[in-house]
Order: sequence, then structure tokens, then C-alpha cells
Amino acid sequence: MTVLNEDVPIGTPPPPAGPTVVGPAGETARAADREARGRRRGKNQRFPRADRLAPYVLVAPAVLIIAGLRLYPLALGVNFSFTGDGDRNGQNVGLDNYAALFDDPLFRESMGNVGLLVLLLPVAVAVPGALATFVYLRVPGHRVYRSVYFFPAVLSPVIIGAIFNLLLAFDGPANTVLGTVGLGPVDWLGDPDVAMFAVVGVHIWATFGMGLVVFLAGFATLDTSLIDAARVDGASLPLVVRHVIVPGLARTIQFVVVTTMIGMLTSMFGLLYVMTGGGPEGSTYLPEYYIWFQQGQMSRPALASAASTVLFAVMLVVGMLQLAILRRSGRED
Amino acid sequence: MKRRALWSTALIAPLALYGCGSAAAPDSSPGGGDGTLVVWDWKSGDATAESYIEAARADFAEQHPDVEVEFVAQPFDQYYNLLGTAIQSGEGPDVMLFNGGGQLRDRTDALLPLEDYLAEDTERLAGWEAFSDGGHVYAAPVTLQGHPLYYNKALYEQAGLDPEAPAATWEEFLADCARIEEATGATCFAMGNKEGYGIQFFLSGLGPGVLTPEEYDAWIAGDRDWTSPGVKQVFEMWVEAETAGLNNDGVNSTAMFNDEFALFDSGEAAHVIGLMSDVGHWKEFGEFIGAENVGVMPAPVASAGAVPVMPYDGGIGYGVAEWTEDPELAADLVRSLTSTAALEAFYADAGAIAADTTIDASGAGPATAAIVAQLPTGRPALHVALSAETLELMGRLSQQLLSGSVTVDDALAQLAESDQ
Repeated sequence: MTVLNEDVPIGTPPPPAGPTVVGPAGETARAADREARGRRRGKNQRFPRADRLAPYVLVAPAVLIIAGLRLYPLALGVNFSFTGDGDRNGQNVGLDNYAALFDDPLFRESMGNVGLLVLLLPVAVAVPGALATFVYLRVPGHRVYRSVYFFPAVLSPVIIGAIFNLLLAFDGPANTVLGTVGLGPVDWLGDPDVAMFAVVGVHIWATFGMGLVVFLAGFATLDTSLIDAARVDGASLPLVVRHVIVPGLARTIQFVVVTTMIGMLTSMFGLLYVMTGGGPEGSTYLPEYYIWFQQGQMSRPALASAASTVLFAVMLVVGMLQLAILRRSGRED
Repeated sequence: MKRRALWSTALIAPLALYGCGSAAAPDSSPGGGDGTLVVWDWKSGDATAESYIEAARADFAEQHPDVEVEFVAQPFDQYYNLLGTAIQSGEGPDVMLFNGGGQLRDRTDALLPLEDYLAEDTERLAGWEAFSDGGHVYAAPVTLQGHPLYYNKALYEQAGLDPEAPAATWEEFLADCARIEEATGATCFAMGNKEGYGIQFFLSGLGPGVLTPEEYDAWIAGDRDWTSPGVKQVFEMWVEAETAGLNNDGVNSTAMFNDEFALFDSGEAAHVIGLMSDVGHWKEFGEFIGAENVGVMPAPVASAGAVPVMPYDGGIGYGVAEWTEDPELAADLVRSLTSTAALEAFYADAGAIAADTTIDASGAGPATAAIVAQLPTGRPALHVALSAETLELMGRLSQQLLSGSVTVDDALAQLAESDQ
């Protein structure tokens, strides 16, 4: 490794190794870096042109793929959102699509539902967290639960949606159970105040297995002597959870928050499509469903493009906020 | 963090500028060349449509033996999404299947006017209105689709009613429903409005019993007065059906396809506003409750002056893409796909009321006979005249009407605005 690094002339200095690179390899990289800089100062002209171009050639495939298959289509999509639909196909209509978008109660509803998802995020994180805690604390049958909890994660949203369509039907088993305990039937998927919560609940049920696995991995790194010490000191279970387990799992919780958020915002389409179709009364629209609906059902692709652009901007902001939070808490550690 | 933000800005800014500057018109390029015609549909993969496709192929091969026809069966769920993408890129199939009405009218830009090529078929086929827009014909009808009011004769008998003499007026109809519910426990209507389709069928199925012929014609012609007493009455009946307990429970969470029809199939509901072709129709109902028990009745008259008619339109039909290389060739294929021999096969195997008026359909049970008998006086269905946008809004508002979160007047005002 060392021999190679020193023998191969380097046209431009390699990027500075990040703080994550530690140990001997990092040291070597830094040494090579210093070496390269030192050499470049005096002997730059000596390098053949091919060697100076080599790094660019080497990164070219990656850059071209990103530029050609990601950024260019993105630019086309954004550009397309400034054109019209139907009779005005291909004409520049300025910001008309965006005006139409924010004028559409359906789109506002879908953005409101994004906010609702963010509010429900703590629940989606707490469910796998609490269940993982029980498994970790070896409640009776914890081995069975560990595998059973993961089962739904391997089912496709379409199958899950179909199952819950049956379970949550007005004359379905869920209402029958409610009836036996004397509670009135709930129109799970037909009541606009309930439907979104029903779908999110099913989504959490279907995906919490992944979070659970991550939590269990986090628990594996916990120092059991701390828990034993707390117990010896007479701490109750809630106190152990609050003062020992949660602080010890801070990084894990952050990771689950980020991945759950991404999952909720990007992979609800299948469930919505199968369970509610955006209804009742448009109460379960999410932006991606709205985009699909405008493009395919209403044949307004330019309007759908505008909605995509707005969703992209929202996701960019949310993603950067999450990165910022993760980085800050990483520093605190 | 700062550097990342800078990068993002550097990437986004040109995109925004790019967007403001240019708006390129999509250019079109030919679809299938090389003596091949590509057809998109969602039917040719069905076993029941096999004989139909065979007959159409044979008819076409007789005229153009050297041209190959390729049928691409798309999943119906995604059909208009895929078609929209093809239209956007200006290349795709030469001939494509459409549902009549809004789905076709929203896409006439991409279609070739066919009236000159199909002149000879005008008399033989029925249901052209659903495939016409602005004086041009954009597709040739294959099947007829309509919304007969079906009833279960067995339930009528159990309730002591004469199954051959269903109610002629709305009051009698309500009285019959009350008797049936008392005697059999079956609800009056099987109704599913999860997708917002329930109101469309209700409007088209029962509207003819409310609107006068003049109002009906004006509505179809595009002169729609949403606040007229007749239209208001239809929507009030929609609410009344729910509040008076005529519907099954959980209408807004019951899917029309196929939970609603399943209620009628199982005898839990006495009436359903169904379809003529494909699904939710006489053939399907007959398989469950017996063909002899499937009745078809005209809409009960709810308002003086109304003359009930069978609401029907062209159901599905084939159109030609404007980018096709040889329009005449593609139009010939459309003619083969709507030839009498092909449509006869479709009617016999797929259980559809075919668009060809020369086919004898009286041998398939009393319901079919009743439907076919009413075809000559039939009129286009009320909801088919509406745009996809208005239909979507009507679906949402109809759910709100059932849950009581909007009034009839308010809903009609919103619909009038959308239908401008």
C-alpha cells in the first residue's frame, strides 16, 4: 500500500481524508498527501499529460452517469413544469402550473398530510423502539417475537394493503371485534378523519420490523454492566429505560428516525393505491399519489412535473435538516 | 454543511434558469414502421377476447397480407399512465384502445380524425358520440357501455312483489324497497363509492327518471345547468338514499369493483346500477343469482315530465395515433377490429353488448333482451359527458355529501365552476 502510493505520481492531491478515516491507513493517506504536495510544488511539469488527466478519466464514468441519468432528467423535469398541458402543450406558461398547484385543495391536502406524517414520526419510531426493548429485556417468548415482528417487512405493500382492506372493511373482522366489546363500527377507510391514521398505522405495522432489527443491533452494543449497576441501585424499569437505555441508543434512534422518515415519505404509494385510492374525500392524498394521479388519470403531465419539483424541494430541505441534526448530535458525542 | 448548501445551490440555480428560458415542443416521430402495426389495449391478453382478436386479424390479413399486426396487452390499471407517457414522447402504438368519453376527449390532440375512413360503418355501428369531439370522430366503437338498473327478481318474489312489474315511479320504488328490506333483509341498493364511481352510476342510472328530455339533451350537448331543480333533485336523491338507509353500510369504503357487485351477486341487495359490458353486468350477475332472476328496469320516474331512457355510450373503441406512418393502413385495421365477424365473436365470448347493431343478441336471457330492446331509444349517459376533472371532483364531493360535510347546493356550485 505504502509502496504503491509513493511510486505512482499523482497529478492532483487526493481529497483530504475525512475524520472518519482513522488508524494506520489514514496516517498513510495523509503522509502520501504531504508527499504529493511537496513534489508538485517543484516538479509539476515533469508529469506527462496523460497522468494529469488520469484522475478525471477515472471519475468520468461516475460523473457522467450522475449528470446524464440524474441531473439532466431532473433539469428536463423542472423545465417541463414550466410548460402547459393539453391545448397549451409545449408552450411556455411561466409559473401557471405552480399557481394551479397551490390553488388545488387536493395538493394542499397532500402537503398537509406530509406534515401529519412528520408529526406521527415519533410514534413510528417509538413502536419498534419499545418492542425492541421488550425483546432485549427477554420478556417471555422474546425469541418468537423477534422473528414474528420481522415477518411483515418482507411482504409487498400491495399484499398488505389487500389484507387490511379485508380486515378493515365496514363489515370486516376489525369491526366485528369492536362490536363484541360493545363499541360501534368504525368506517376505517371510509371516514376522512380516520382513513389517514388507518393507512399510516398499517404502514407502521408493515415496516417497523426494519427499525426493530436496527434497534436490536443497537442494543447489542449497549454496556450491560450499566444496566446491571442501575438495577443494583434499585432503579425501576421506566427509570432504566429513560436514564440508561435511551442515552446509550442515541445514535441508533437518530438513524431509525431518518430512515423511518424517508420510508414514510417515499413508500406509502402502494398502500394508498390499494387501500384508499386517495379517498375518502381526498383525505389520504400524498404528493407522490397526487403526481401519479395528475400524470396518468388527468393527463396533466406538466402539472405533475410542477408537483414533483415542489416535492423535490421539500425533500431537499427535509434531507438537509436531517443531515444537519445528525451532524450536530454526532459532534455532541 | 455550508459547502454542501453551496453545491446544492450551484446545481439548482441552472435548473431554474433553464426552466424559465426554454419550453421545447415535443417533436413526434413515427411509431411502428417496416410494415408493422402496433396495437395497444388491455383486452387482447384475455382468454375471452382471443376469438375476437383472431377474427379481426383474419379480416385484416385478407386486405393487407404483408402487414404484421402486433397486439400489446397493457395492464388496465396502468393503461392511461403508459399511454400518457407514449403520447408525451410522441411515439408509441399506431392503434390504441380507449374508453369512450373523457379519457378519449382529453387525448384528441394525439389522435387522428377518422370520419373519412369510417364513413361506411356509421350506420352499422352504434355509440359514436362517446368517441367524437368537436365534430370529429376519433375512434370506432367495439362495445356499448351503459348503466341499466338491474334488480333481483327472486327477492321481489320473496317480498310478494310482481317481479315482472317493477316500480315505475320513485315513490313506488321506495315502497317496494321497504317491503323487500322487511321481508328479506336485503338493502335497496348495492352501492360502492370508494373510488367515487358510485355517484357517476347513480347520476346516469337514475337521472333519466328526473330530467325532462329537453334538459337531458341540453346536458349531453354541453349546456349544463347544475343548479336546475332537476339536477339538484338527483343529488338530493343521492343523499336521501343514504340517510333513508337504502344503501349498504360503509358506502365510502366499499369498492364498486367488485365489492358492490358482490353484494348484489350474494342477494344482499335488491338493486344495483351496473354495466352492460365486461364486468358488473348481466352475464356476471346471471352466474350468481341465475340468468332468469336478473331483471332490468327503466329508471323510476321521480319528476313529472321525465321520460326514462336507457343510458349508454360507446364503451371501448379503437383510435389511430396522429404519428402513425400510414393513416389509411391503421384505419383499415380499426375497421377490421370493428367488423361484424370480429364483434360477433366478442359478444359471444366476452359477454359484452357489441356496438354492431346487426348482431342478434336476443338469445342470451331476459336481461340482455331487455337491454337490447331499449337500445334504439337510448341516449348517452349523463356522466360520460363530463370531463375527467369534473368527474374526479364529483367523486370527492359525493363522498362528502354522504358524510354530511358539504351541502347539495355547495357541491353543485363547485361542480358548476369546475364544468365551465
